[in-house]
Amino acid sequence: MSNGIDLLEPRRKATPPSAPTPPEPTEDAGSQALSEALRSSFVIVKIVLVIMVLVFLGSGFFVVQPQEKAVILRLGKPLGKGDNVLLEPGAHWSFPYPIDEVVRIPVGQVQTIQSTVGWYRTTAAMEATGVLPPAPESLNPAQEGYVLTADGNIIHVKGELRYRIAEPGLDYEFAFVNASNAVWNAFNNALIYGSATYTAHDALSRDVSGFKERVRLHLERAIATQKLGIVVDQINLDATAPLKLRAAFAAVSEAEARRGKTLLDARSAANQTLNQAQSDAVIRIATGESDKTRMVQFVAGESNRFTSLLPEYRKNPELFRNMRRLEAFQKIFTNAQVEKFMVPTREGNPREIRIQLNREPEKLKTLEPPKAEGH
Amino acid sequence: MKRNPITITIGLLLLFIFGLLLIFFQVRTTEVAMVTTFGKPTRPVTEPGAYVKWPWPIQQVYKFDKRIQNFESKFEQVFTADGHSLLIKVYAGWNIAQPQVFFPKFGDSVVRLEEALSGLARSAYSGVVGTHPFSDFISTDEKQLKFEQIEQEVLQRIQKDVQANGYGVEVKFVGIKRIGLPESVTKLVFERMQAERQLQVRQIESAGQREASDIRSAANLASANVLSEADAQATQIRGEGDRLAAASLQVFEQEPELGKFLMQLRALEDFLKERTTLILDTQTFPLNLLNGGPSTAPTAPKISSNTTNE
Repeated sequence: MSNGIDLLEPRRKATPPSAPTPPEPTEDAGSQALSEALRSSFVIVKIVLVIMVLVFLGSGFFVVQPQEKAVILRLGKPLGKGDNVLLEPGAHWSFPYPIDEVVRIPVGQVQTIQSTVGWYRTTAAMEATGVLPPAPESLNPAQEGYVLTADGNIIHVKGELRYRIAEPGLDYEFAFVNASNAVWNAFNNALIYGSATYTAHDALSRDVSGFKERVRLHLERAIATQKLGIVVDQINLDATAPLKLRAAFAAVSEAEARRGKTLLDARSAANQTLNQAQSDAVIRIATGESDKTRMVQFVAGESNRFTSLLPEYRKNPELFRNMRRLEAFQKIFTNAQVEKFMVPTREGNPREIRIQLNREPEKLKTLEPPKAEGH
Repeated sequence: MKRNPITITIGLLLLFIFGLLLIFFQVRTTEVAMVTTFGKPTRPVTEPGAYVKWPWPIQQVYKFDKRIQNFESKFEQVFTADGHSLLIKVYAGWNIAQPQVFFPKFGDSVVRLEEALSGLARSAYSGVVGTHPFSDFISTDEKQLKFEQIEQEVLQRIQKDVQANGYGVEVKFVGIKRIGLPESVTKLVFERMQAERQLQVRQIESAGQREASDIRSAANLASANVLSEADAQATQIRGEGDRLAAASLQVFEQEPELGKFLMQLRALEDFLKERTTLILDTQTFPLNLLNGGPSTAPTAPKISSNTTNE
């Protein structure tokens, strides 16, 4: 018998040093085993309960990622006031759902939306390959997007808006069913408004940055009045003339480029003229200076010569004059290259002698007949 | 009997939670609620938090999103005060503000409200646009432009109508999302634009030429000024030279005859440095020697022209 019990409960035999009822093993063996089993399963249940409580408490932990903030709604109301509402990135704890609700707000993340209400009909594939759709003769409002400009023209505009949720971000998160949709509409509206205040020419080429600024300012106003709770990071606009009028608009741009070139040429020519005039002026002044110097030196030289010759002249003016004259003739004739030297043939009818000094054009050689020289 | 307290505690706790769920309800910060008693709306709740009610079927709670919803009208034709036809599309932001008014009219259907709103919006923007000329929609001068004023008028009109009709909603803002022209008009606009560009090209070209010639003539004028100033300066300098020379010339007054003679000699030499043809008659000294005549005092040779400078 005891063998049988031993076989049934081999563990018990070793464990109970304080086993209370050794005298009646046969009678209580079954109930004892049952109570032991119940007791041990209660232990398991207790452990499970403890684990469940731990899991319950632990499930309240959550991590706020670096590019987001979080808000705890306790019984539907944001917990905390003012700046304390926002939970910074890191680990936090809240009660589980029916009591608390954690709402994550992607405050730091840049969000992007596109506006194409003003863009012509095209497909993504065409956009990607840069192929333009065929230019329509007129614009069907159901299919083609466009905007009206201040001068009543039609142009196409599309835009990309990059924005972030402004802290604390509660408006963006809790005030709108679909805040990005509201932002998108405000952006569309700003594009329409900006276009309505700019002429086609200005918006497309002359003042592109001003146009963009106008759109941005209007968007900022809408953000403020509609309490969208965002910060504009960047706006990119792309504007183009209607497809049918591209050539006409290009002609205007070319004309402007040509005008720029004409002006540039004119300016450089003007510069050249002015520089030339300035250098000429310098030369003229310098010539004046050198004339002055020469004149002064010449007169000084002559007066020196005069002073040095004066005593000799005073000795015998007539002789002096003849001597000087002879010297001069000598100088002239020795220097001269005599080409013709006419000797008189008849008495009393003097003929002329031709002397050519230095070089002479060839045609004079033919002037053989003496008669020609007379006149 | 050891486990009884635990079991009872757990049981009571579960019962308590269940009871709480029956009589409490929570209104989120984004919501408003309407409590109905036997189907009749009795208590609106507009602030977030936890509230008590009688358990179903006595009281029931309807919750509404009170966040701003987006409404967009159709893109349709309206007429301006000066008879232009214009296509316009507006958007609006609205939210449920008074659940006790909203609920009896629309139940919890947002769609039905949007239908109603669309009618109000159409009458509002077609009415407002009809009081403005086309020029109010576009202008380079932001002060002239009535764009925002028109939006504001449409908003006020919708707000008034919503108020009058008792929808229990609040329209927060209205904006124009698109403005367009009827298709037939766009063709005319294209033609006008084409003509405008051609005119622009001509204007730009003629303006460019005019500016260029302005620049050139200004430069010519400036250089003429520079040159005449330089000439004046040079003349002044020469005059100074003459003045200085005149001082030296006083020396010649000692013997004017000699001065004159020397000057003549110098002039003769200078003159004959050039390529010159001399025609001399045989009476001229020293050629008169050839005639066997007396070698009297020489007379000045005749000097004829043909001074050439190449």
